[in-house]
Amino acid sequence: MIALTRFRIAGYARSHRAFQPLLLLLVVISLLYATGVPVGNELSSYADSAAILIPAFAWAARGLLDTEPDEQRMIALTAVGRAELASGLLAALACNTILALIALVWPLAGGFAAIPPVGTLATGIGLHALAVLAGTVIGALTSRAILPSPAISIVALIGGYFAILMAGSSSVWATFPAMTWMHAANHGDLATRLPAIVVSATVWIGLGLLGYAGLRRTRP
Amino acid sequence: MRISGLYLRYRRKDPWVLAEVDLELAPGSVIEVVGPNGSGKSTLLRVIAGLLRPTRGTVTGRPAIVGYAPERFPAAQPFTVAGYLRHLAAIRKVDESAIDEWTSRLRMDHLLGQRLPDLSKGSAHKVGLAQALLCGPDLLILDEPFAGLDTAARAEIALTVDAIATRGGIVVASDHQGDLRTLPNVTRYEVRDSRVRPMTTQASEPILNVSVRLPLSRASLLAAHLRAEGHEPLLSQDETVEAAE
Repeated sequence: MIALTRFRIAGYARSHRAFQPLLLLLVVISLLYATGVPVGNELSSYADSAAILIPAFAWAARGLLDTEPDEQRMIALTAVGRAELASGLLAALACNTILALIALVWPLAGGFAAIPPVGTLATGIGLHALAVLAGTVIGALTSRAILPSPAISIVALIGGYFAILMAGSSSVWATFPAMTWMHAANHGDLATRLPAIVVSATVWIGLGLLGYAGLRRTRP
Repeated sequence: MRISGLYLRYRRKDPWVLAEVDLELAPGSVIEVVGPNGSGKSTLLRVIAGLLRPTRGTVTGRPAIVGYAPERFPAAQPFTVAGYLRHLAAIRKVDESAIDEWTSRLRMDHLLGQRLPDLSKGSAHKVGLAQALLCGPDLLILDEPFAGLDTAARAEIALTVDAIATRGGIVVASDHQGDLRTLPNVTRYEVRDSRVRPMTTQASEPILNVSVRLPLSRASLLAAHLRAEGHEPLLSQDETVEAAE
């Protein structure tokens, strides 16, 4: 499975697709941190960054999975069986982790007025990890194996993200809680709401993964 | 390996692509699947390979190591032939010496440094066959394996299919060219109207024997070429005639 993951990352890295989400991410974070972040506002900036970058992570995951031609995916399936699914997700996670690291390090180099405390850094890393997982699942669910039409796929990706934002404003449990963590961080109660956010995020990511695995059973 | 009561369709309420399929694929057998374009041959091959799940019915006893060569090799990948085959060898957990063996046997050593998108159709097809054969499959699925291949490669594929069957493997191939028909133990099935039926051998015209004299060292290559052309070569030496291996 690791060899297949390496093969897919190599294919993605050599294609031009990898630059598209990277450019989107660079534009978003350069805008986010363009005016600088005063001391004490680092956590809300990290929370906003993590939630806003979910489409970039989804785009990267979808691009990575779609770089491989359909027939090559079938060859991979005969080689490693159902581990092919896990391999694709792992490759997407690895690439998205690099994107998330850029998003985390960028403000430390030039956006924050001061280096934030360790707790803030750890929470920022955790929120970006949840965003990476959510983006990877959304990307997988809108990849060509599930949605062969590129037009429907991109509409589903963007529409799914907006649905998460819209539905997420009502309750932490209604959908993936990106909206909740943005709201909580900007109102200073992220620490108290974090356990519910993590549980809700884990449940929604799990449901997304189950959905992807279920759909792929009839969509090789 | 056994396929029992198989039905398959891609979407609910669509007509069946395959229906009432019952097949016994015994170790050592070579199955040739024929049928009109769009009849469901590739779908049947994908079911046998484990890529498609039956809507109804079961597929049991599939061997663990499956080699699959699709009809169209996906050449739109950013690798050289050597790089691609090295990745596939690693995925298959086989030694890279297998790459040398198969690129040599398929006469594609000169392609190793070329990028996959730059390959001709026949050359790309050879890469597809090489990746399927690297792993020493117990079940080999070949979708139109002879299309676009040169004579030597066609002969090599026919010999390889025979060798896999001889060691107890199963080979299933769709073959419009008929290159497999001269191999022993080839069972032909026709896919038509969603059904898969065994084909009976048609009575042929009278047989004529043609003798060729050549050095012994070249005999097996010529025999392979003749098999690839659909003939049944017989080798004779010192007045003793025996069927070619």
